[in-house]
Amino acid sequence: MFWHKRRQTDFDEEIASHLSLEADRLRDRGVSQAEAETAARRQFGNVATAQERFYEAGHRLWWEQLKRDVIYAGRILSHNPGFTLVAVLSLALGIGANSLVFSVVNALVLRPLPVEHAEQLVSLETNVGGPGLSFPDYRELRDRNQSFTGLVGLRVAPMELDTSRGADHIWGYLATGNYFDVLGLQPVVGRFFHAQDDLRPGASPYAVLSYASWQQRFGGDGNIVGKTIRINRQPFTVLGVAGKGFHGTEIFYWPEVWVPMMMEPQIEVGNPWLEHRGTRNTWVLGRLKPGIPAAQAEANLNAIAAELAREQPDYDEGLKLKVARPGLIGDAIGAPARAFASGVMVLAALVLLAACTNLASLLTARTADRQREIAIRLSLGASRWRVTRQMLTETLVLSLAGGAAGYALAVFLARALSNWRAPLEFPVQFDVNPDWRVFAFTSAVSFCAGIVFGLAPAGHASRMNPNAVLKGEASAWRSRRLALRDVLVVVQVSLCFVLVSGCMLALRGLQKALVMQLGFQPQEVSVVSFDLGMAGYSEEQGRGFQQRALQAIQQLPGVSSAAYSRSVPLSIDQSQTSSFSEDLAHPRPSDSVSAVHYEVSPNYFHTLGIDLIAGRDFTWHDDAKSPLVAVVNRTFGKQVLHTDYPLGKRFRFGMVGNLIQVVGLVEDGKYVTLTEAPQPAVFQPMLQSYNTTTTLIVKSFSPETQMVQQIRQAVTQLDPDLPLYGTGSLREMLGLAFFPTRAAAIALSAFGLLAVMLAATGIHGLVSYAVARRVHEIGIRMAVGARPAQVVRLVLGKTVVLVATGAAIGAGLAMAAGQILASVVYDASPRDPQVFAAVLGTMALLGLASCWAPVRRALRVDPMIALRHE
Amino acid sequence: MTTREETDRIALLQGTLDLLILRTLLLGRQHGQGIARAIQQQSDDVLLIDHGSLYPALQRLEARGWIKAAWGTSENNRKARFYALTKAGRKQLHREASQWRRLAAAIGRVLGPHGAEG
Repeated sequence: MFWHKRRQTDFDEEIASHLSLEADRLRDRGVSQAEAETAARRQFGNVATAQERFYEAGHRLWWEQLKRDVIYAGRILSHNPGFTLVAVLSLALGIGANSLVFSVVNALVLRPLPVEHAEQLVSLETNVGGPGLSFPDYRELRDRNQSFTGLVGLRVAPMELDTSRGADHIWGYLATGNYFDVLGLQPVVGRFFHAQDDLRPGASPYAVLSYASWQQRFGGDGNIVGKTIRINRQPFTVLGVAGKGFHGTEIFYWPEVWVPMMMEPQIEVGNPWLEHRGTRNTWVLGRLKPGIPAAQAEANLNAIAAELAREQPDYDEGLKLKVARPGLIGDAIGAPARAFASGVMVLAALVLLAACTNLASLLTARTADRQREIAIRLSLGASRWRVTRQMLTETLVLSLAGGAAGYALAVFLARALSNWRAPLEFPVQFDVNPDWRVFAFTSAVSFCAGIVFGLAPAGHASRMNPNAVLKGEASAWRSRRLALRDVLVVVQVSLCFVLVSGCMLALRGLQKALVMQLGFQPQEVSVVSFDLGMAGYSEEQGRGFQQRALQAIQQLPGVSSAAYSRSVPLSIDQSQTSSFSEDLAHPRPSDSVSAVHYEVSPNYFHTLGIDLIAGRDFTWHDDAKSPLVAVVNRTFGKQVLHTDYPLGKRFRFGMVGNLIQVVGLVEDGKYVTLTEAPQPAVFQPMLQSYNTTTTLIVKSFSPETQMVQQIRQAVTQLDPDLPLYGTGSLREMLGLAFFPTRAAAIALSAFGLLAVMLAATGIHGLVSYAVARRVHEIGIRMAVGARPAQVVRLVLGKTVVLVATGAAIGAGLAMAAGQILASVVYDASPRDPQVFAAVLGTMALLGLASCWAPVRRALRVDPMIALRHE
Repeated sequence: MTTREETDRIALLQGTLDLLILRTLLLGRQHGQGIARAIQQQSDDVLLIDHGSLYPALQRLEARGWIKAAWGTSENNRKARFYALTKAGRKQLHREASQWRRLAAAIGRVLGPHGAEG
């Protein structure tokens, strides 16, 4: 079929040679040169036709056969619409699931950031958790390293942008001046800021807009460059607009604006930290010099970190740096997100494998039915390879049709996911739209699937002995003790078991998570956030406003309790502080315990329904003039103060902070994620620690939506220009915390359902086939008096063994898989008896349902008709 | 274009050209023009070879691996592409020749002795 392609010129040369040889011969016979040439040409006929035929012969053989095979496959498949539909549908679901998951993996792992030489970009991470470095440390690293063409520092920052409708709470980046140059980007309009624009604090009121922001907020204004916008009520000059495809260097965070880092005090009003060596707020991205491996750069950075630790042990002792993939806050979110995506990818692959095994067994059964047809074709002279190829073409047509449908499904779902906005104030955008990689992946998967599930039946067909089949010998079909079909059913049942138990576990986890002890009561609580610093309030004005707002809210009808906190637990905005016990004689940085930290007002614990175990709540007298106090949770007592009863104990924030006395002890709760282990938390009275970010927490008798409206009105009456954000019921806000569990439950349920469908059709196919092949035998047995139970045993005997084997293997695998799942899903234990019972029940139901119809058919066999059959 | 000379000749039956080419090459390697000449001479100029269709046939045989080809020089020093039988080609020739003989004999028996068709 294949041969080394001969070139057309070679063929032309051969013809020319033929013509001259023929002319030579004629001339030898005494014909004149001119006549000899004409005669040779005449004898040859049409040269162009010969050339054309040569050309076509090279191409056509393959095409013709393929075309014929495809047409024939189409005819065969359209004669069995039921089978074709089941096959295409299950492949579409299997391949679609894989393509969709691959789109996500593609977005998370494969797709490079849209900057030049994205493979050179790394993000730095420290051993104290998270990617943050202090700004002075960033400066030292930037100036001392020899491995990077540039290091940029950045900070995700909310801002308030004045618009014609009042101020909007928007999200942007504070970025060092070299940001755009190191990334190697070009603006679509105007210019970017450069290192020389970012030298002195407060001296560079410049802004670069994102393309989307330019389009949506400014209508794509062509004269935007040089215009003044007001951020946090201060003027900033628009320098330019970033390219359309550039959304910053975090995959899912799409900022609207970039401002030079030196403007930090103006952007984060009331919290200037650029010169604070203890505030690790700067995320650092670097571009490796060409040819420098990441490991070498890491060694270089750690050498500098060691120097820094010597120079300023109070801040940097033990500092270690690591380079990580950029895009998902280094490895902080990246590692678990990638692990989760890979896990789901494995599940998707298992589902596809189940679909393929299913089809393989259906097809093998069909090949058995088609043995006469194949035998006839073989005896008419078809080569075995041609028959095999025909069968493979059939399965490929199926799998490509399934792949096309699956791709369409994946594109549709990926688009829906990309357009979905997470219920956050934060501009999170999951751009998982399929690109060429997803298309290539889908094509490859479809093709491989077709080959994989087509090989078994095709192999079967090509091994058959046509003579015996045509003579009607039943034994022509070599019946091996352990047919491939049987193995496939076992594989399928065990896969199904794994997926169903994963699904049940996830659902159970979700159910538990919904009733779990959060450590607080989110029911009937509404929240509203605002930032007084950005709104231009001084600390004194801010405190006054907070008091007035709280009084106004408490007088609203229906309000039972109201309080302030910097943020609510399980929201995205959590802050950590390192704490040291007073008992440490010589505290070192490695002794620090990181605790979740909240500044709260009196009544906070009551409003959120947090149990106060011992001691007292804060009062409005715990202010700047009175001794520093704190309320801590149980775990803080154990881990920081090493006691179960920490009242009266003292500790400090940082190694040099003031001593703070514990006056109250509260129950542990969940603070950052639902699956976290108990972690220390510390609460400070807001009058002793002013924070401009304020969340108003209101418990009420009236419905939350109504309450939120009332709160908004009340606050707006006090300051119509103050932007409110993060408004809604606390239960809505918790959607974020439940997101991983929900996502797992949805994904696993979908896969579980798919697996159940596939296993059902698989078992159904097996039993139907067993019945169909033995109609004759069943007829005879019934004629000589077999009872229905015996017939059922005859038909199901092997199936029951196979399904039981599959289930046993599946149970083992499910136990192993459950351990992995436990990291994503709250409290998922594969040994949960309820889960186990549910899985077994589902599997039993599945077995019964899929055997029902064929067994009934077997019992209804009429001996007379069955015996007359042949 | 019909000349008197050609009406006496018999156009080849479908598929027989391959057999004749293989048979010719059994005598040794030969180029296309030589093959055409040899078939015509050995059939006492009865068989008409359309030179134009000879080459696609050679192409086909080469593709099936029954013959192989290489450029060489003819007796009168012209560059020409020479064809030679392969092992598979020899087998194929054997198969086809015996089939053809059986067919010819069978047809001969059916037609009966000369003149029987009146």
